[in-house]
Amino acid sequence: MDWLDDRIGIKALLGGALDEDVPGGARMRYVFGSVLVYLFMQQVVLGILLAFYYSPSAASAWASTAYLNDQVTGGWFLRGLHHHGSSAMVVVTVLHLLQVVWAGAYRKPREVNWWSGLGMAGIVLAFALTGYLLPWDQKGYWATQVATGIMGTVPGGEPMQQLVQGGHEYGNLTITRFFAIHVFVLPLALAGLLGLHLWVFRKHGVTPPADLSEEELVQKTQPFWPNQLFLDVLAMALCGAALVGLTVYTHGAELYAPADPASNFVARPEWYFLFLFQLLKYFDGPLQIIATVIIPGAVAAVLLALPFLDRSPDRKPRGRMKVLAFVGALMAGVVALTALAIVEDANKESYREGVELAKQQAERARELAKEGVLPAGGTAVFDNDPKQKTRLLFQEHCATCHTIEGKGGNEAPTFDGYGTREWLTALVRNPADKRFFGGAKGHDTMEPTPKDSLSDEQLAAVVEYMVYLQGDQSEVDKALVEKGKTVWENDAECSGCHEVEAGAEGVGPTLAGRGTTAWVARVIADSSAPDLFGDTAQMPKFGDKLTQEQITALAEFVTSAGTQ
Amino acid sequence: MSEQDSSEGAPKTGGGAPDDPSRRRMLKVGIGVLGGGVAAVCAVPAIGFVGFPLTHEVTSSGDGFLTVGKRSQFSAEAPVKVDLYASRRDAWTRVDSVKVGSAWVLEHEGKLVAYSTTCPHLGCAVDFDGNDSVFKCPCHRSEFKLDGVAASGPSPRPLDTLEIREEEGLVAIRFQRFRQGIAEKVEV
Repeated sequence: MDWLDDRIGIKALLGGALDEDVPGGARMRYVFGSVLVYLFMQQVVLGILLAFYYSPSAASAWASTAYLNDQVTGGWFLRGLHHHGSSAMVVVTVLHLLQVVWAGAYRKPREVNWWSGLGMAGIVLAFALTGYLLPWDQKGYWATQVATGIMGTVPGGEPMQQLVQGGHEYGNLTITRFFAIHVFVLPLALAGLLGLHLWVFRKHGVTPPADLSEEELVQKTQPFWPNQLFLDVLAMALCGAALVGLTVYTHGAELYAPADPASNFVARPEWYFLFLFQLLKYFDGPLQIIATVIIPGAVAAVLLALPFLDRSPDRKPRGRMKVLAFVGALMAGVVALTALAIVEDANKESYREGVELAKQQAERARELAKEGVLPAGGTAVFDNDPKQKTRLLFQEHCATCHTIEGKGGNEAPTFDGYGTREWLTALVRNPADKRFFGGAKGHDTMEPTPKDSLSDEQLAAVVEYMVYLQGDQSEVDKALVEKGKTVWENDAECSGCHEVEAGAEGVGPTLAGRGTTAWVARVIADSSAPDLFGDTAQMPKFGDKLTQEQITALAEFVTSAGTQ
Repeated sequence: MSEQDSSEGAPKTGGGAPDDPSRRRMLKVGIGVLGGGVAAVCAVPAIGFVGFPLTHEVTSSGDGFLTVGKRSQFSAEAPVKVDLYASRRDAWTRVDSVKVGSAWVLEHEGKLVAYSTTCPHLGCAVDFDGNDSVFKCPCHRSEFKLDGVAASGPSPRPLDTLEIREEEGLVAIRFQRFRQGIAEKVEV
């Protein structure tokens, strides 16, 4: 220490920082400012750590956040601390402000302290707003859309909106701008104001309780180091412990599915902005500006002017009832609006369902992200879904002729509703329909079966028999099957071409096991097998082009289209 | 923080009873302990977080066997050059079907073998000369026989064989890279 002191004068530096008297003695009520300094420093450290993994671009923001949160050791914890830390900053800022108002510390000669403090409170909110977007997930994306949208509705706000979001719509520039503001502009601005705030604070000292006399103040004076600092650090530790507890309890911060401009999402701001969100509900159309600018602006103006509005002779609360009532009413209003917003949402089923759906999507997306996200980023994570892979495979190899999920060609049978009783009935009645073989060039082998040769009743029985022949007998009507079998053997002309026993060969496909996943897979591999379509087959053989796994996946995709 | 801080002792102003030294010492220890605890909240998890790439594979490309074709494509007559495609992982990104390398595949003495096309000398891509039935490096004229042995030129070792596997009529190769210019085959 002496060695260092000789060279850089560290003792004088520390002495300057710590050697201060606290008139009236150390008190718990003075800790809020110190706790805020601690929270800010911690947010800076956590922010820097997150930047080791976070990548600010529309393609990689979500994927990198999911990576750091779900795969990197301790990532969820550090990100969670950063997320909840912002809430803590908002809470402690409000507590600090209330303590200052109660103590009358905004009064002469501490006006600059008050204003720099209000400025920092604004910056804390700006931090929250800009940070919310950075993960580029559904919640941040849609909630921030609302915020910048509001900016655009204000007179003259449109250029400002475009400046902030970097163009007409959200994209790469929105992220890089929000990132630059969040990690460079705001921290520097806050640090600058904090320096001013502390400098002025040291000049005027703490604002002790108004009811202590001069003698009492002097008599009870204690040094900042260690008496007040101990209380400060104790409060920091309590706050830190609460943050750790909250982070572990919530298992870090939420991360919703990647931002999808084509989706709809129940957008809600972070809890400390809910009162503004609720306020907005009461002002429609041209009146909206009252909620977005006029009321918040008026409140800010009154707060800024507080040192001049307060004309009472001393700091005693009794003489400042108007000020205290105003701030009290303000807080009550904020609390009431927040509560209303929460209650309204809790009672709204569509909101609850929306949140539930969003959470399921989030879970799915984050699970799929573990395989790595394709370079398109964001919603491309859903391409990892095996079903989506199969869908792409279908598009590539099958959709020229077949339709599924409403998309594709009509040169071959459509698979929506494939294999259902309705599908089979329609097929038997009119195989030449576009929905079935009508589109296939020259595939007219199967004859239509009009009602005069097979009544609706008989056909229903035959269809039930066909379902029975698939092999799954749990969901068939046994009596109807028996009837169908009789019709099949005696009346229907189907048996002229179709065999029913496995392995038997007819002109048309043999019906045992027909329509099952294994059967469809065989058709995909080679539809010209004698017990399948034989000589009438027109479909290309995919046995050589696709792996068995792909064929099975496609077959499952087709058969599942009949169960939806 | 040193115990010999300049503010040690009674407060300079005020007539109140000064704290006794043991209480002040306790407060200072308390500050140290609580402050350390607060700092540890970030510092401890930060170690594993920042050091994550030291203990985890963050990038990878085709470590497993890569399918290159059907067994029937390859014979003893002439080697066939196959390209190896794999998925590449880079932290959160995955790119599918990236060409990670290529190999010569042929049947030699009844067994399938695969050689890396990378010349063990200085890494040029080795060609096959059908007329002479030798692999030739276009850069420094190294030549290799069908069994991979260096026949002439500066190559310090035979062509690098790659692990090869046959399953259900399909041939798969495990792609690896080896250090160049030395006599031993050492994976990089």
